[in-house]
Amino acid sequence: MIRVVHYINQFYGGIGGEEKADVKPEVREGIVGPGMALKAALGTDAEIVATVICGDSYFNENIEEASAEVLGMVKKYNPDLFIAGPAFNAGRYGVACGSICKAVKEKLNIPAVTGMYVENPGVDMFKKDLHIVGTANAATGMRQAIPAIAKLALKLAKNESIGAPAEEGYLPRGIRKNVFKSERGSKRAVNMLVAKLKGEAFETEYPMPNFDRVAPNPPVLDIKKAKVALVTSGGIVPKGNPDRIESSSASKYGKYDIKGVNDLTAETYETAHGGYDPTYANQDSDRVLPVDVLRDMEKEGIIGELHRYFYTTTGNGTSVANSKKFAATFAQELIKDGVQAVVLTST
Amino acid sequence: MDLENQKRVLDLSEKYGKENMAVVLGTSEAESAGLTAETVTAGDPTFAGPLAGVSLGLRVYHIFELKDQVDATVYDEQCGMMEMVLDVDAINSEVKSIRDQYCQFKD
Repeated sequence: MIRVVHYINQFYGGIGGEEKADVKPEVREGIVGPGMALKAALGTDAEIVATVICGDSYFNENIEEASAEVLGMVKKYNPDLFIAGPAFNAGRYGVACGSICKAVKEKLNIPAVTGMYVENPGVDMFKKDLHIVGTANAATGMRQAIPAIAKLALKLAKNESIGAPAEEGYLPRGIRKNVFKSERGSKRAVNMLVAKLKGEAFETEYPMPNFDRVAPNPPVLDIKKAKVALVTSGGIVPKGNPDRIESSSASKYGKYDIKGVNDLTAETYETAHGGYDPTYANQDSDRVLPVDVLRDMEKEGIIGELHRYFYTTTGNGTSVANSKKFAATFAQELIKDGVQAVVLTST
Repeated sequence: MDLENQKRVLDLSEKYGKENMAVVLGTSEAESAGLTAETVTAGDPTFAGPLAGVSLGLRVYHIFELKDQVDATVYDEQCGMMEMVLDVDAINSEVKSIRDQYCQFKD
């Protein structure tokens, strides 16, 4: 019987949402939450002996300490396999799942698997170290994610050989393996080219890495004369969030007039951004969107002027596609309004 | 379906009995209607809430499916507008498919 320890966050552990994200790690015997589905998918070969639950904020704010605590709990149950998540597109949960899987794998020498949406920041941080099963971006993808994770996890626990990412369902780790093909490379390349010319489907053998590099703009020639705009993914909005910008996975951005505004106060502005403790941003939104400092710089002649409008959205879980779409739209407005430089701030 | 509502449905089903309950949905698109219907029949598909692993098998309908049961004036006032703009067939067929699979009460 393969002994499994499962790691989940406070939300899936039934402790609570964001307000409980600071709970310290605890361990419960047997299954909790998604462990029910995992148990069914693992079948009779494996048993989930314990579930470790930890708040996402606690883990991320105390990574070393929390890792050590969780590692101790895992070790006590002497498992043969460790599974974390799935975390879908939850950033801090993804980072927690990745960190703890890496620690279990490297320090306890136990196979570890997790699951995440491809855009989860945990993927880029840990894909080289771990098998991360690709999931949907929200918990509604649980039904598809769990069997895929269970299947790969059992293979790892039984020390079976693991195939290519596309066959096994994990995200590419950037590892190349030699394989034999019946046709030589030049012939395969020409076949691909012919298929491409005909407009037929073909699969590349070497996908070009996508670094998403943004070429820097030329420097601002004279910042003392430049019109500078503020743009933020930190969710600063006029108090009451008049356009109802979502606290995560934003589908829109806001444009707000700050003519005559010299200071963002707790009475006039706040953040709509979820997923972190907003206390300090709500007390003084200048901490995220520094209108006060830019007004000073405007007065002191360090910059030409502060643009009359700022643009804002929440970056929390917002897809890269949406972010690009927002920026493509308002960048045109900024150019039209004669803005020469943008200060982009986040949480 | 959010966690508080899952708790409410669970509490009501314990208080009044599953056989005496029906859940009426007002969701605006087929996927979320299906997920909500699944939550109150097969259990929470995200395994995060009080209905994780709890298959209540409740009767569940979208309000669009109950058009003939409702006073025409009230329906028109409350649902008429949304009926015009939403994909009624997709919503109804999704909820029916979940009900056929997981509802305990075949009446």
